[in-house]
Amino acid sequence: MGAATQKQNVKTAAVRRTGRGTLMLRVVAAIGGGYACTAALASASAQLLVLAGGMARSEAVILVAMLGFFLYLALLLWSFTEASVWRVWAWLSVGIVIGVGLSYGLALSLVEY
Amino acid sequence: MAPGKGFRQSMSWLHTWAGVLLGSLLLAIFWTGSLSVFDREIDRWMQPGTRLAEPPPQVSLDRLVLPHAKNLAPDAPVWTINLPTPRVPVLQLDYEDPQHGRVRRYINPHTGELIVDQGSWGGTRFIFPFHFSLHLNWRSVGYWLVGAAAMGMLVLLVSGVVAHRKLIAEFFTFRPRKRRQRSLLDLHNLTGVVVLPFHFMISLSGLVIFCLIYFPSVAQALYPSDQAQLKLEGLGTYSRPPSGLSTDIASLDTMLATAQAIWTSQGKPGGAYLVRVRNPFDRNGHVEIRRAHTQAVTMNADRLTFDVTTGALLHQHSAAPIAGVQRFLTGLHFIQFDHWTLRWLYFAGGLAGCVLIGSGLLFWTGSRRARHERQRRIGARLVEALSVTAGPGLIIATLTFFVANRLLPLDGPVTGNQRAVLEGWVFFLSWLTTMAHAAWYPAQAWRRQLQAVGGLAIACVLLNGLTTGDHLLHSLWHGKAAIAGMDLMLLALAGSCLLAARRISLTCQARQSNSPPEPEAQRHA
Repeated sequence: MGAATQKQNVKTAAVRRTGRGTLMLRVVAAIGGGYACTAALASASAQLLVLAGGMARSEAVILVAMLGFFLYLALLLWSFTEASVWRVWAWLSVGIVIGVGLSYGLALSLVEY
Repeated sequence: MAPGKGFRQSMSWLHTWAGVLLGSLLLAIFWTGSLSVFDREIDRWMQPGTRLAEPPPQVSLDRLVLPHAKNLAPDAPVWTINLPTPRVPVLQLDYEDPQHGRVRRYINPHTGELIVDQGSWGGTRFIFPFHFSLHLNWRSVGYWLVGAAAMGMLVLLVSGVVAHRKLIAEFFTFRPRKRRQRSLLDLHNLTGVVVLPFHFMISLSGLVIFCLIYFPSVAQALYPSDQAQLKLEGLGTYSRPPSGLSTDIASLDTMLATAQAIWTSQGKPGGAYLVRVRNPFDRNGHVEIRRAHTQAVTMNADRLTFDVTTGALLHQHSAAPIAGVQRFLTGLHFIQFDHWTLRWLYFAGGLAGCVLIGSGLLFWTGSRRARHERQRRIGARLVEALSVTAGPGLIIATLTFFVANRLLPLDGPVTGNQRAVLEGWVFFLSWLTTMAHAAWYPAQAWRRQLQAVGGLAIACVLLNGLTTGDHLLHSLWHGKAAIAGMDLMLLALAGSCLLAARRISLTCQARQSNSPPEPEAQRHA
């Protein structure tokens, strides 16, 4: 019986450890990844608003920076409800790549402004 | 209850842990924010030299302010002059002093007399900046912490609504005489629901004020080389480098009259509230005049810039539509418009936020204290010590700050900004003391610190009467609303804290007198 309990304890400890690991991954993804994703997509949309929407630069900056809080809030909440941590990381990475890529490309067309 | 295990379960987990981790910080921000609603009144209380009668409607800056500015700060790059208002019945001159840092001096608008340096940052320069920067200015750490807390508050509000889905039923439920845990949760739900729209608005608008700080990459993307251009286009902050050629300053009164004429012709109400002179004695210097926003929620960005030598209009600005939305949300947060009923409601809403956060923290520690003690875990004890520090501890720090203000002499060994720094140290050291007390004596921390709040608040009222002569009867009789209001609020605070402390000791006595051998088992049966 003692051996069985010991085995059980080892098992729960292991479960708890991996649980903590994925939890840390989730927290980092939600707070850090969510912010990075928001900032990248916000920068790209501000550039798009100016280039494609013809909006004044200062207006685009302020509009997007204000709306950014809603996107970040949505990403934070979603990151903690999504069942798979890996899917959280995957989607946030996609967002960051699209945002940074667009931003980098559009920066070249914004030079003449 | 875990993240990723179903929507409601995840939200519940998130609400608990975000609340435990951010609760103390949020409590400090809500307390100082509530006080900042009345920051001008706190200034009058802490700076007795500025308790003047209603200011005259028209003042001459050339005659009243310029001589003092030229005398006090001939080399300062910027002079900022605030015109008197009913809440601040003095002329206010701000400048950077090479030795003393940022200096603020007051001028009597009736006589033009320079008021003795009050040696206190008061509400507007100590409590209010604490609210948004925690006085951690290194690399703007404080701004980011407060931003994270505000974002956390939004998360808490949404997840709280999901976790407590029976909103309407809970709204009508408050059982103050039930078991402590039950009452606490009722109180948490009640304040949470009643003030939910205000709390959402205040957290979101707080973030919106600093949206350019929190998303620097957006500004960087569109203004890669020139952030000053963003300030000019977005806020009308005109600037040009100094020329090095000296000159004398033109009439500020004429510029004010021109500004008033321009705004009147545009059909805009109200006059100027602020005049800022950049490089006063340089040929390239300029004067920015801002239009008051006491009659509207929106803190307008109507700014006119004049040449310092010729008085010619250099630049004219009004907020564009989206910048206007940002200024509206900013105004909603700052409540600088004249509306005393709303100002009291903001104060009440902020204090309700303190109750919401405090009851949440108490509920969490209350339901874990015994178990954590048994398992020799530090969690509940740590959170409890932190919540005492952020709750009654912070109130004690605020009150000792007020007491120090009334006890330190104006003409002692430290004056001016040094005296103000000393007041700040009293605040932080007494706060640290309450933390040590909460950590060492966890069982008595709440009761003792609430009693200390009661004693200190009464001491503040007495000291104000003794050192300034404006005791409650006097201030009420002579219509000094700011002073009377502050004293009355201090007495209300003392009363409620002493009552709460008394109720805690009665409960403790009752528990001790009829407790069986195992009080823990009894309490958590």
